[in-house]
Amino acid sequence: MKHQSKLSEEQQSRQVGTEQQTQQPAAREFANAEEMLRYDAAHTTVPPVIAQRLQKSTGELPQPKAAWWKRWFGGSNS
Amino acid sequence: MNEPATACEFVAEPPADLASPEFSSLYAENNRAIYYLALRFLGDPQKAEDATHDVFLKAFRKLDQFRGEASMRTWLYRIAINHCQNLCRSWHDRHVFSNVDDAVWENAAAKTDSPLRVLETKELGQRIQKALDGLSDEYRLLLLLVADAELSYEQVGALVGQSPDAVRGKLHRARKAFAALFEKTA
Repeated sequence: MKHQSKLSEEQQSRQVGTEQQTQQPAAREFANAEEMLRYDAAHTTVPPVIAQRLQKSTGELPQPKAAWWKRWFGGSNS
Repeated sequence: MNEPATACEFVAEPPADLASPEFSSLYAENNRAIYYLALRFLGDPQKAEDATHDVFLKAFRKLDQFRGEASMRTWLYRIAINHCQNLCRSWHDRHVFSNVDDAVWENAAAKTDSPLRVLETKELGQRIQKALDGLSDEYRLLLLLVADAELSYEQVGALVGQSPDAVRGKLHRARKAFAALFEKTA
């Protein structure tokens, strides 16, 4: 399954990164672009102001209805 | 360009009462993925902030239309991709851009099977952005989506309108192009 292969690829490169770190702490290796982007994403801070703006924006709107399939099948949030 | 804070010591916590518990958990689970996609696709922290807000607001309004056929993450990505592409289209209408020819970078990449090595992670975000900016929208989007470990190639394919095999093929070329561009940012 592709999902698994993506993760195992990440694990492999983590191992490489760990080995690299023991030799030269400042250097870091990424197996490929996605691995690097994943690291970058994990270290990117989401500005808290977005949640504050959303709180304000959604507060001015009516409460959303639950998804139709949840209403049909008796979802708990409806 | 302003670079967003990349310190891992602070992670934004959404307010507990974001309109509804369902929407609060939707935001908590997906805000980083959507913000990161917007940030690196648009290349501007302020535009990414606005886009993330707008994407979640659209999701809030359309929550009753979510059909449960796809995952919430995929559904949000679809809204985000449309939103970001619309923004880019409106910029393209106002500005002149040179056409990005990915083939140039694919062919220029001599050492693409080597790992990408960085000595200093402090400037990593800026270097990544520069490299992504040099790619076509298609390759940039593909790399950003594949980087999300929660998405399978099938899901990425559905989001970009390609078969999983086409995604794999293009991903290989996108990696090569990114590696060549990234090397140039050193």
